[in-house]
Amino acid sequence: MKHRFSFLLAAFFVFFTGCAGLKGEDAPASAQIFAMDTAAELTAYGPEGQAGVDAARAEINRLEALLSRTRPDSAISALNGAGAGNPVTLDGETFALLALAQDVSEATGGAFDVTVAPVMDAWGWTGGERRVPPPEELAALLPLVGAQDLELNPEASSARLARAGMKADLGGIAKGYAAGRAGEAVRAAGVTCAMLDLGGNITVIGNNPEGIPWRVAVKDPAHPGDYLCVLSLTDCTVSTSGGYERFFEADGVTYHHILDPKTGYPAASGLRSVSVVSENAALADALSTACFVLGAEDALALWRSGGGLDPFELVLCREDGVVTVTEGLEEGLRFLGGDHGYTCETARR
Amino acid sequence: MAIPVKPPAAERLRPTPWDALIAALVLGAAVLLALSLRPAPAGPLTAVITLDGQIVAQYELDRLMEPAALPVGGPYPLVVEAEPGRIRIAESACPGGDCLRSGWADRAGDRIICLPNRLVISLTGGEEAVPEFDAVSG
Repeated sequence: MKHRFSFLLAAFFVFFTGCAGLKGEDAPASAQIFAMDTAAELTAYGPEGQAGVDAARAEINRLEALLSRTRPDSAISALNGAGAGNPVTLDGETFALLALAQDVSEATGGAFDVTVAPVMDAWGWTGGERRVPPPEELAALLPLVGAQDLELNPEASSARLARAGMKADLGGIAKGYAAGRAGEAVRAAGVTCAMLDLGGNITVIGNNPEGIPWRVAVKDPAHPGDYLCVLSLTDCTVSTSGGYERFFEADGVTYHHILDPKTGYPAASGLRSVSVVSENAALADALSTACFVLGAEDALALWRSGGGLDPFELVLCREDGVVTVTEGLEEGLRFLGGDHGYTCETARR
Repeated sequence: MAIPVKPPAAERLRPTPWDALIAALVLGAAVLLALSLRPAPAGPLTAVITLDGQIVAQYELDRLMEPAALPVGGPYPLVVEAEPGRIRIAESACPGGDCLRSGWADRAGDRIICLPNRLVISLTGGEEAVPEFDAVSG
């Protein structure tokens, strides 16, 4: 008898408690904002949802004002405007983000570089008219690129750019950082279920409203409207970079926006897209760009070594149609790319 | 003193009315759960067009009988084109033209964004299967 009631209780627990979620509650609070050079959708569930969305929005706007290169009063504008060799004292937050950017730059052999800004400007990727810069123009700009010449002084919390004409731009990491901080703000407001979509950079808080891990689809870079796979995620960020996001054509050639800091030209590493999953949202953002530049083999080597960075996982879509998913994402993975001829393989350490 | 004798194992394992009751309760709970998680009717495939967060137009694409063009003012004037079942940005004076290259949107969850204009077209509903995911990265 005792065993039967235990079984009955367990069954009810599974059915009604384990699956309990917020699905049946009121509509979630949501907001759409334009910040960090993207359209962001913020969604939070539960009684504190509106407070969570408000807190996330305030945090993203605050960070844009602090970190944007196009805001004349931002910390980054102060650094860029200080002139060669002149140190600028920075707030702890901007300094820490620059330090993380340098760590990623070092770990990826320069595949990620916050000083690539002058070359990005020459291509028109920062608001100007898109164009293919002449080779001599790129040759003149490339010496201005080099994260090692962004000198950080932790004691003074200061930074300086070594050469005239250098510029720092946190565009490749700030969106992720803002997503991470906004996620913290949402949690601090008492929200346990939320999703922050910063232009396809997805941060999930807790489980989804049904009480199971969030299901995040990864876009098929070659077939708009279709998906490579669905990841099963809780409390982390997935950031995806690919040449299909922003591009233009000139003389029949397609040029995308992810530049290889070493050549000044769009990265051509054999990858169509890279998705990075990490609890460190800023790292996920920076690594999605870096791994796209590195290519599949070097990206997997970095994943295997860890690079001294926080843990992360990868989805690599190669031009030959192979989708490589690292083993940490295996649980709950649903592969959807078969209809378009993709094959899926799991990378193991 | 008589020693109580346990019934043979075969007799102890034989189903009793209690077992049937428990099985029925579990089955009932499963049915209730399935009903509670049943997806709500999706409604027509609807495109909502927002400009800086404010809704400026809405089209039920499934029920559209003929093409419609919506000129939208803003920093860079553009034209939204809707047809039965799909929608796109057909013309835009924005500098990058990323929105033009997005092409047609025709499924729930699709979004077209023109950042310089702060314009977003979002699709919801439709008769196709409800997306089996919560978000899209990329």
